[in-house]
Amino acid sequence: MATSGFRVCALALVFVAACLTAAPASAQKQGGSVTVGLELDISGFDPLKVGVFDTSGNIAATLIFDTLTYLDDSGKAQGRLAESWTNSEDFKTWTFKLRSGVKFHDGTPFNAQAVAWNFARQKDPKNKCRCAFYIANILTVEAKDELTVVYQLSDPAVNFPAGQAVPSSNNVVQSPAAIQAKGDDYSRNPVGTGPYILKSWTAGDRLVLERNPSYWRKGWPRLDRIVLRPLPDAQSRFASLLSGESDVVWADAFEADNILRARKNKALTVHQYVGSGATVYAFNTKVAPFDDLRVRQALVMALDKKKMSQVLTNGLSLPATNPYGQGSWVKCKDDGALPTDPAKAAALIKEYGKPVEFKMLVTATPRGRAVGQVMQQFWKQVGANMEIEQVDQATIVPRAFQRQFQLTPWRIIDLPDPDTQMYANFRTGSPVALANYSNPVLDRLLERARVTADQARRSDDYCEISRLINSEAIWFWTFQNDYYAVTKAKVKGIPKLYSGVINLAGAWIE
Amino acid sequence: MAALEGQARRGPGVLFFAALAWITLIVLAALCAGMLPMPGPNDMDMLSRRALPGGAHLLGTDSLGRDTFSRLIHGARISLTVGLLAPVIAVLIGGSLGMLAGYFRGRFEILATGGADVLLAFPPLVFALAVTAYLGQSIQNMIFVLGVLGIPAFTRVARAVTLSLSEREFVVAARALGATHARILIRELLPNVALPLLAFFLLAVAVTIVAEGALSFLGLGVPPPAPSWGSMIGEGRESLDIAPWLAFLPSGIMFVTVLSFNLVGDTLRALTDPRASAL
Amino acid sequence: MLGFFARRLLYLVPVLLAVSLLTFMVGALLPGDLAYVMLGDQATPELIAALHKQLGYDLPLWQRYLQWLGNVVMGDLGRSFRTGDLVLGAVLDRLPVSIELMILAQVIAFSIGVPLAILCAVNRGGAIDRFLTGMAFGKLSMPSYMVAILLIYLFAVQLNWLPATGYVPFTEDPLANLRSFLLPALTLGFGEWPVLMRVLRSDMIATLQEDFIAMAKAKGLRPARILLVHALKPSSLTLVTVAGINIGRLIGGALIVETIFALPGIGRLLVGAIYARDFIIMQGVVLFVAAAFVIVNFLVDMLYALLDPRIRHGRA
Repeated sequence: MATSGFRVCALALVFVAACLTAAPASAQKQGGSVTVGLELDISGFDPLKVGVFDTSGNIAATLIFDTLTYLDDSGKAQGRLAESWTNSEDFKTWTFKLRSGVKFHDGTPFNAQAVAWNFARQKDPKNKCRCAFYIANILTVEAKDELTVVYQLSDPAVNFPAGQAVPSSNNVVQSPAAIQAKGDDYSRNPVGTGPYILKSWTAGDRLVLERNPSYWRKGWPRLDRIVLRPLPDAQSRFASLLSGESDVVWADAFEADNILRARKNKALTVHQYVGSGATVYAFNTKVAPFDDLRVRQALVMALDKKKMSQVLTNGLSLPATNPYGQGSWVKCKDDGALPTDPAKAAALIKEYGKPVEFKMLVTATPRGRAVGQVMQQFWKQVGANMEIEQVDQATIVPRAFQRQFQLTPWRIIDLPDPDTQMYANFRTGSPVALANYSNPVLDRLLERARVTADQARRSDDYCEISRLINSEAIWFWTFQNDYYAVTKAKVKGIPKLYSGVINLAGAWIE
Repeated sequence: MAALEGQARRGPGVLFFAALAWITLIVLAALCAGMLPMPGPNDMDMLSRRALPGGAHLLGTDSLGRDTFSRLIHGARISLTVGLLAPVIAVLIGGSLGMLAGYFRGRFEILATGGADVLLAFPPLVFALAVTAYLGQSIQNMIFVLGVLGIPAFTRVARAVTLSLSEREFVVAARALGATHARILIRELLPNVALPLLAFFLLAVAVTIVAEGALSFLGLGVPPPAPSWGSMIGEGRESLDIAPWLAFLPSGIMFVTVLSFNLVGDTLRALTDPRASAL
Repeated sequence: MLGFFARRLLYLVPVLLAVSLLTFMVGALLPGDLAYVMLGDQATPELIAALHKQLGYDLPLWQRYLQWLGNVVMGDLGRSFRTGDLVLGAVLDRLPVSIELMILAQVIAFSIGVPLAILCAVNRGGAIDRFLTGMAFGKLSMPSYMVAILLIYLFAVQLNWLPATGYVPFTEDPLANLRSFLLPALTLGFGEWPVLMRVLRSDMIATLQEDFIAMAKAKGLRPARILLVHALKPSSLTLVTVAGINIGRLIGGALIVETIFALPGIGRLLVGAIYARDFIIMQGVVLFVAAAFVIVNFLVDMLYALLDPRIRHGRA
């Protein structure tokens, strides 16, 4: 949450999870309309155009499209477009049986060929999709027959079906016929199999969705209409809820004042979900002063995360001591977090001898600036001078990938399994191994954790990984990922906000 | 018309001196910012955020627990630095272009006024926003951009004044005596153009302070943590319902400062109006 | 008159060309490689080189400019690489919002500025005149973001009368549409009335001293009639110019006001494009905005010629 900007970085890594909770089948009223205030404007749905969806994109995508699976309230994968699945012994081959009789909004049938076609289009190097990185581990997707699709992976993935639940640009199934027919205009005229159909879209203003009368799931959807509106200003977004213009608004911990006020308001409901992952920062260990362990450790120990949470979010944000978070199944007795100790930090800086001066990338948003300035203060107190370099959200990802930074914010997002991100972030030579750090012990642990089927043993491995990273201080974590939605109390049926996705697919008005 | 102007014009009044006093005060405060007994503008008192004015912090604290009074004074530095230096660029370049255009006329005049028209066609804020976004945010870039944007206005004023002067006796006489162009421009015209330009300069300071505030308000001004009135207003907007004074204090200071520059500039302009002095 | 028209029209061509050149240069020369933005994490040196070629970046600058200009003349401002939207389409989508805002702001500015100016001109030098002139002067020192915050604090936070943001299309609900435009239009209108009042006041004072006014007075016409029928039109010369410039600016969107009140106008389109490094949209919008300004100014010049004092005196 550090930087709202970080959502974009997040985007870069976003496979945000959403789910269709199986709500109890009683007393859900049909009809009505819900207006949702989102933070960002949605730029389109064609993966070749937009690359990855941001949180607002995911929220819309989960309504217009379907994914193969969804996560239930316990975080387990259940079938959505897929009815069942099996895997090979080595977890490298996954076979999905698809639901029959499902049709896209344009009337064309949904089948295994459609799944394979979507994948091939994104994978094709000629298409240069900015989404291809996230399917790098999938070698092929093959339509065995009309309703059977086989995924071949380059590396084992124990939790593959859970990963397919995220309504990301990679996972949602779009209509091949519509993409081919509409060409450049498709991105703003998306066609899926989802519970809602795009009715109209005024860029920068509103996206109107109407219920899909022939949705495959009985009784769904319940609302007649959902209107998504970008309201970038947090105060106005919240005000629109109070004035009745919106029924649901997206929020984050930086709007602590509003969230705390909403909790006292009987007419409103606050949905909070603390997921896995965290807001994180990576040192570039190849450049001074961060090539020295003492400096890195000093900066980490100088940060008082409790105080930070107090000043930035009224204490709403939960400090993070490891990259997994309380929403993860990885539970550590000891994650090796360095203590908050400004005196020790100052001593380490002194011991280093040279002046510690560096630039940190900060997103050019009010929140990015606030976080940057608070850290700057903590570090100044132990004798380190940080200069804030403001960059656009869109710039951080290329800067990070090209290692043009000394210290950059990043995000480990809420995914059902830690493997994808931990392996990408810390395995020697990975493009996202931002710290430029290489350690055979760490590599070995990462390799082992990803092929182990036993969850308890994997959890132990990931805890050891956390201890190693914390003591080497190549990355550090500030806050756990928490997600908020504030709704009118009468809006029901919103499942857990996996990765901040407010899923209204099964919502209704009481 | 000129007679009317003369009638409407009153000598500098109480307001003029009040404005002058305020400007002096702000300039002094900005110069001595480092020496005043107050907390640093970036020091955070994290456990007392949004403190009310009074008590340990004279004007309270902002949402990160920083002393508002200190930030206002240090903010004055930024506003005044940008507000004074950018028009300097504009007056130097625009003023000389305008004088040359008004004096030599002909093709050069067409080129200069045409160029000014082109530059004026760009909405200033849009231009400033685009350029600072790409060149990076720093005081220097901001001064540069706002300075360039001020050029056309100065070109126009300088040209108009020069035009009205260049047919006057003292210029005609100097020319008849065989004075060089350079001599006429510098010795005869410049002293007479300087005063109206100074008056316009003060108005430009007011406009530039507002423009700097707008950029900072949008988060594209001075990089943090340096305080600027505009960014303080922008940050204060986030808690308008909880702590409205965070936005209104810098607004008030900025308003009075801009008003003062406008007042002084306007009074000087009325005194030096070429149409009035042409009589 | 016709000659004047032709001369101004001829002048328009080089100005527009220069505007397009400057726009192109801003887009082309500022740092930030479009290829990196487009490719994101896919940016390998080979792909970047290939993309450069595809975008025509390997051509000399002047060739790229001519190519771009050619497309622009044909009405093709390009497509956003990010969303695939046609730039022209994106601008036209946002235009109604900016225009509605502009019209409402003008209505507000005129309905405050003109009566006050007449009031001042009639009571020239009196207490009312001095008070109003002083207020107008003070108002001129108040930037739009300050006014916006004051209005939001008063009407949205304290009184809860009007929405702080939230645009509603006119076709959907005209009343809600007007409500959503009221605060932003007030912000802009408040910024403009002092200017209108000042110019109209001083022109009107001059007009009121002319012979034909004295004659009308002698004929025993009612003062209201003299003011509104005989004096207002010949005094509105500068007023038209100033309003014209404002209109030209506002067609290009009111950047700050649109941002604060979240109106999907041209200004926000541009800010969004800048943040997203969407050069093609940015270039197109800046060109559109600048050209709109130049053309509106040209039209104002024409109107000005129609209201020219010589014509007026001929009639009188």
